[in-house]
Amino acid sequence: MSALAAALALQQSEPNTQFVLAVVLGLLFAIGTFLVLRRDVVRVVWGITIISQATNMYLVTMGGLAGSVPILGHGEAADPATVANPLVQALVLTAIVIGFGTTAFALVLTYRVYEEHGTIDLAELGENPPETGVSANTGSTMDGPEADPEAVTTADGGSQSGTDSSAGTAGVGDD
Amino acid sequence: MRGDLKTIKRASLRSHGVQPEPAVLFAVLALPFVGAALTPLVYRVLGERTAYFAAAVATACLALVLTQYGTHGTVSVEWIPQLGVNLVLYMDGLAFLVALLASGVGVLVFTYSGGYMHGEPGQDKYYTTLLVFMGAMLGVALAADLVALFVFWELTSVSSFLLIGHYQREASSIYASRKSMLITVAGGLFMLVGFLFLHDVTGSFALFDSGASQGIITNAEMVREELSAQGLLLPVVALVALGAATKSAQVPFHIWLPNAMEAPTPVSAFLHSATMVKAGVYLVGRFRPLFVPEEVYIAEVWTPLLVGLGLLTMTVAAMLAVSATDIKELLAYSTASHLGLIVAGFGFAVSYGGEAGAFHILNHASFKAALFLVAGIVAHEAGTRDIGSLSGLRDDLPITAAIATVACLSMAGIPPFNGFFSKELLFEAAWETGAHFGGLWYLVPAVAVFGSVFTFLYSIKFLSLFYGDRPDGLGEVHSPPLAMVAPAAVLGLAVVVISLVPNLAIEYVAGLAYEGVAPGDAHSFTVPWPIPTEVTPYALMSLVTIVLGAALFPFYDRLHGAIGRARRFPYTSPNAYYDGGLAALERASGFVPAYVQTRMFRTYAASTLLAVCALALGGYLVAGTPIPPFGGLDSLTLLGVVGGIPLLVILLVALFGAAAVGIADSHVAGVLTLSILGFMVAIFYVLASAPDLALTQLVIETLVLLIFLLVLDKLPTWYGDLEVREAIPDAIVAGVVGVTVTLTVLVTTSAQPSQNIASFFVENAPIPGEHDPVLIDAGGGGNIVNVILVDFRAFDTLGEITVVAMAALAVLTLVGMRNRGEDV
Repeated sequence: MSALAAALALQQSEPNTQFVLAVVLGLLFAIGTFLVLRRDVVRVVWGITIISQATNMYLVTMGGLAGSVPILGHGEAADPATVANPLVQALVLTAIVIGFGTTAFALVLTYRVYEEHGTIDLAELGENPPETGVSANTGSTMDGPEADPEAVTTADGGSQSGTDSSAGTAGVGDD
Repeated sequence: MRGDLKTIKRASLRSHGVQPEPAVLFAVLALPFVGAALTPLVYRVLGERTAYFAAAVATACLALVLTQYGTHGTVSVEWIPQLGVNLVLYMDGLAFLVALLASGVGVLVFTYSGGYMHGEPGQDKYYTTLLVFMGAMLGVALAADLVALFVFWELTSVSSFLLIGHYQREASSIYASRKSMLITVAGGLFMLVGFLFLHDVTGSFALFDSGASQGIITNAEMVREELSAQGLLLPVVALVALGAATKSAQVPFHIWLPNAMEAPTPVSAFLHSATMVKAGVYLVGRFRPLFVPEEVYIAEVWTPLLVGLGLLTMTVAAMLAVSATDIKELLAYSTASHLGLIVAGFGFAVSYGGEAGAFHILNHASFKAALFLVAGIVAHEAGTRDIGSLSGLRDDLPITAAIATVACLSMAGIPPFNGFFSKELLFEAAWETGAHFGGLWYLVPAVAVFGSVFTFLYSIKFLSLFYGDRPDGLGEVHSPPLAMVAPAAVLGLAVVVISLVPNLAIEYVAGLAYEGVAPGDAHSFTVPWPIPTEVTPYALMSLVTIVLGAALFPFYDRLHGAIGRARRFPYTSPNAYYDGGLAALERASGFVPAYVQTRMFRTYAASTLLAVCALALGGYLVAGTPIPPFGGLDSLTLLGVVGGIPLLVILLVALFGAAAVGIADSHVAGVLTLSILGFMVAIFYVLASAPDLALTQLVIETLVLLIFLLVLDKLPTWYGDLEVREAIPDAIVAGVVGVTVTLTVLVTTSAQPSQNIASFFVENAPIPGEHDPVLIDAGGGGNIVNVILVDFRAFDTLGEITVVAMAALAVLTLVGMRNRGEDV
């Protein structure tokens, strides 16, 4: 218990640190959020990257910045009071690697979006009516010539009445 | 499961009867579900003969249920002992009757299906669902806990939904299954609210005393007083009745039942006449001892509500049955009508009411299931279900005609068939109640007679399909297979047996069920056989019914037409409200995409982020979390920061990097400034005594920079100009997020959480002193973070590697497969 109290005292004695970090993290999150709301997909990915960096810093901050490196020398007795919190470090290490995986995935998705739609403008992508998106998709990835024009119409009608659309689907299936 | 069974303990109940065998009850419940799980496999081997596998499962259940005949009590197995949740089953006469019907009619229906479903599609799904339904129905019958009762209750609704929608491409099947689902599940939810009220008042979900827990029904008197005191008696009765009314197709919720006839006929016979719709009346019966005190003529709230509901349904549904043009439609309305009779019976506080309900559950199941199977045979062999074009089937279907005759006379309530006796008991209850209060209360027996006249009419109409002249339009009528006739014959025989010895049926089955629905200590009852010999008011009521019915029968077609015309009058049918309400809902949901699903990522992201912020800030506000005070600018000295000036410099550079990303005017500039942030974060980790993080961050940051540059090479250098119209609201959202994060960091870092986990790792990661000389030179345990990752939390690391591997696979697919897909 004395170790715990000491660790806390170390952290509590420096209110400046947490205040400075809180402001910095707040600003980083704000910049990240602003980027996430942009139209350019690449900027959205940047925003997510900044937010995840800031989250990692936040986790480390929560463990307390004081304390020595959590690597013990030969035969050294471990004292939790003087060692930096290894738990958050282990957490963040995992988070960094997973963040890398998601960033890479998001980038490749961006690339694929550009390949499929010829644009990475989210506003432009959103404005396209669903039919265009569907047919563009089927045109390039699936068997385009086989695509039934009626299938698209049915999918459109589906929003009006469940009964009608399912009857329609059944009809198409029978054809 | 085997381990659990060891902890089964028995508990005694109010009665002294023989205790049920726990293992048997749990086996009864488990068997259908195990059978259902196996059915898809069995179907691969047996094909259409899966029907007989399912029938064997049902037979096993029936046999197990029969071994528990006459037992009475609860069995429980610990489920989640930490939360005091047990799976409690209960067996008494009422549970036995419903379980008997579920498994007994199940055997017949599965056998019948073997003939009826010949050549039909989706048989594996059909038998699986039907077995699941049977298990759920047995669960409803045996559950002694409100939670378990509700779960099984809804499971029957779901399986009914699937079975009604068996022909899943037919628009009418889809309409019917959705209708039944919406109505019965919505009713079930109201019932759940009623259960929660009960739980709120009693603090218990248990219906009966079991072990240490007090049962709701066992302590009926106390619960009823408490409910009255809190003014919850009416809400609870109304909510439970709503659940029962939707399930048992009581007016005005009867509209789903005729549509449910879209299901294959065996399903109609099983679910929509003999068992599932009985769940509602079972519920009413089960709760009757709770709400009906002993020795009274009227139970507060309960009697007016349920007798009104039951008699209304009995009359209206019987009139609708007269206007039916399809034999299954006629039977559907007739079912609703007879369920109304049972509900009304249970509603009466006089003992005859409970007797009528309990006995009619048995009688109705016998004659109505028989008639459904008969209807299935007629539709299957004659190829039509139209009442107008069917007649004189006696010569083509002699056995079926005999079964139909017995069942129809019983349905009509003609002595000495069994339907007569239970209806007579209802008349007795109605008369006793009416005569006791006098005045307007005489309407009760009058309405009962009025409704019964229509019952008589449609029963005889159904019977007339088999007699009279054979119309020319009717094509060749085939002889039905044995698998279809035999189950119908068994049910017909059951009608005959109960009709011949009604008092034995009462003594051995219905009377025991009556004990379950009667308050206090009840004893069995008898009926006068073969016909009442004394002139009593209720005997006269029966006489009037039959005479009036016989007198009106010649005018059947006129009545049929008149009711049909009345039904076409707009807004008389609840159907119009159902359809209108559904259409309005569909229109309303049409608006959702315009406002919620805007197809703009910006909208989704902003609403999600703002919602999270609102939740977090609201949480702090509600919880009254103190925000750590800021010491004022005076105390903000550079030297006061842990890490001192280097940390501040690093943080400032990181912020500038991030800000530069925000205003970068090209993709490349943005990526490079993003790396500034990344590398500053690495140095931050160094200052925070986290060398492993710093190393990882450096490697990852380098990799990310490379991937960004590689991908950017393929992307356009397009850059959306910053529009002020968008930028200002976005800046506000960003500001809100920033403030929330700042507050959160302040709140969380000032908290003083237990450091036990961290301390544990610090103390346990290193190699123990005594092994030092041997191991430390070979592989050290000094790096605590490493030890956590590869030892204490190795599975987390495995998960992390899996995520990266999946991302890699996805990247590979997205980049590589596109062109390959085109080649194919």
